[in-house]
Amino acid sequence: MPGPLDSIEQVGEALAAERYLVDEGLATVVFLALRLRKPLLVEGEPGVGKTELAKAVAAASGSELVRLQCYEGIDVHHALYDWDYPRQLLHLRAGGTGSLYSEEFLVRRPLLEALERPGTVLLIDELDRADDEFEAFLLEFLSDFQVTIPEIGVVRSEQPPVVVLTSNRTRELHDALRRRCLYHWIDHPDREREIAIVRSRRPELSERLVQQVCTFVEEVRWLDLYRVPGVGETLDWAQALHTVGDGELTADVAERTLGALLKAREDVERVRRGHLEELAAKARDAVA
Amino acid sequence: MRSPEEAVARAVVALARGLRAAGVPAGIDEELTLCRALAEVDVRRREDVYWAGRASLLRRIDDLATFEAVFERWWGGQRLEAVGAPIAEQSESDPRMPGPQHGGESLPQFRHEGRSGHILDGKAMPALRPLELPSSADEQPGEEERRGVLAAYSPNEVLTEREPLGLGADEAATVRRLAEALKMAAPQRASRRLRPAGSVGRLDVRRTVRGSLATDGEAIRIARSSRTLRPRRLLFICDVSGSMERHSRVLLASLQGVVGADIKAETFVFATRLTRLTTTLGSADVAGALDRARSAVEDWSGGTRIGEVLAGFNAEWGRRGLARGAIAIVVSDGWDRGDPELLSRELERLQRQSRRLVWLNPRPADLGGQPLAVGMRAALPYIDDYIAGHDPHAVGQLVRLVHGLGAGRAVRRQRPSSTTSSQQRR
Repeated sequence: MPGPLDSIEQVGEALAAERYLVDEGLATVVFLALRLRKPLLVEGEPGVGKTELAKAVAAASGSELVRLQCYEGIDVHHALYDWDYPRQLLHLRAGGTGSLYSEEFLVRRPLLEALERPGTVLLIDELDRADDEFEAFLLEFLSDFQVTIPEIGVVRSEQPPVVVLTSNRTRELHDALRRRCLYHWIDHPDREREIAIVRSRRPELSERLVQQVCTFVEEVRWLDLYRVPGVGETLDWAQALHTVGDGELTADVAERTLGALLKAREDVERVRRGHLEELAAKARDAVA
Repeated sequence: MRSPEEAVARAVVALARGLRAAGVPAGIDEELTLCRALAEVDVRRREDVYWAGRASLLRRIDDLATFEAVFERWWGGQRLEAVGAPIAEQSESDPRMPGPQHGGESLPQFRHEGRSGHILDGKAMPALRPLELPSSADEQPGEEERRGVLAAYSPNEVLTEREPLGLGADEAATVRRLAEALKMAAPQRASRRLRPAGSVGRLDVRRTVRGSLATDGEAIRIARSSRTLRPRRLLFICDVSGSMERHSRVLLASLQGVVGADIKAETFVFATRLTRLTTTLGSADVAGALDRARSAVEDWSGGTRIGEVLAGFNAEWGRRGLARGAIAIVVSDGWDRGDPELLSRELERLQRQSRRLVWLNPRPADLGGQPLAVGMRAALPYIDDYIAGHDPHAVGQLVRLVHGLGAGRAVRRQRPSSTTSSQQRR
């Protein structure tokens, strides 16, 4: 059972126990989100672990995670509730009595689920992909934590969920929404933190390899790449190196596994042609 | 003697006021949030207060530099008025933005082998180093020096006389006309949202069931719904260096009036560095933003480094999908003193991301049959539509083009019609 989350340190430790390592800033912000019951808006480059944060917060607070993945065109029927039409039709055809619009035929979507179950963590993922109308609807939802279903009535939350919203900034979110949230920008971790993350997530890897990988990745991030690798890619790549190689980061093994780290042809070619030997040597030297 | 609560409240108000003075919007809601947040943390610890303040008052990462400057002074007990708007400039600088040191070594020689080369002089080009330009200090922006700078880079360049701007005295009327035309032509795309439709579209089960209530559960009338149309995004990347500035200004002023419900536009301006104007476009400060964008330029009369600017766009914005499905419109005369191969590469990337890539050149050097600027020639293979001409006419053409690019399948036109193939092979 997770421990109490009554101080910033405890939040940091609880998240670390879920193998999500935070710095003091993020720990403070998560602590505040839990205490003030304010939605937390997280932005950052792809792959820095925005979604993982919500999962870790849910696990650390012993709550259930309800996830709503946003996409263009998402509306109330995908996000909040819908009716089970086939069942309604069958019910009618079978000469059933009673209301068609009762709980029996209600299909609960993530937002409604988060309202009805007390103490959940609600992840609204990639909100920037949804369109303006949905954002406006969400505004109402986030300020009152209640929704009105015309046929049934008002559904109110006993204990509002902890809400984590993420955005990749493909679209600027409205200020009105930002005003309701706490805001945090997650950066790529520095070398030390990344080493700690890989160590905790992939305990089977040798310390030596972990350090070499993280040194290499940190250098690669400065190469002005098209797609800068995130922590997720680092983990994949470390795993790949561990599987293929013999616990040492060599240019040869790195070249063959580079696809786990870099996801654009230009970047792979760039690193392969220009920097691979040099970077691999540098990574080995840094650890030796 | 003040109570601790009041002291905190006063301090919070002072901080928010300082931020507002520095151009970061921080309203009463944020102040209240921060007051509540400060009650939860240790207000004697700088870290705690910093993060509580940052989470409550900061709304976008672009304002971080300003926030930090204001916070620093506030925490140190200094007066806050002195922190002014210029800090905002800092937020744009990113160590990962491609600088001159990257331009040369990033050239993958396996790509487009000889493609740019044959555009230039018939043979594949060696790996280009960023050109060493004479420093701006000993240069006057006169014709002679300009020729010197550009001629060093593009030997075939024939500089024309300073061209007329092609604008009448009443710019305002032009702006109004263009705004009106753009509004009418706003391209659209199919949204994923559905709305009730007559006899076409897909089955709308929800409404069908509703309707069947009246007929005892027999679904006699089939309800249908079809996709709605939404404005398609226009992406403007406008050159504001040198005499391009007036052309861009007219265009942006036109945009300013119509961006909103009818037109979805993202606007960037560049001289040597890219500045995003979209959030500014809603306000009246377009002129100020243009001036700021220009003031960052030391040597604007020598041309720009369009390749680097586009690389910056692709890395910062394109990567996150800003150009996806958009009609990208580059407004520039193509006087590029950067690396033409970099320009080709980044432009190709932009083209791949966008639905259609249009290049609007208000100051074409080739109207009289003279060769194009080097940058322009490097760019041509990747442009879907090349519109050359002076303002009212060219923008009119743009409007007509954009109008036809609404829903349906993306169409590419690889070769611009306004140039001959002989020019590209030079």
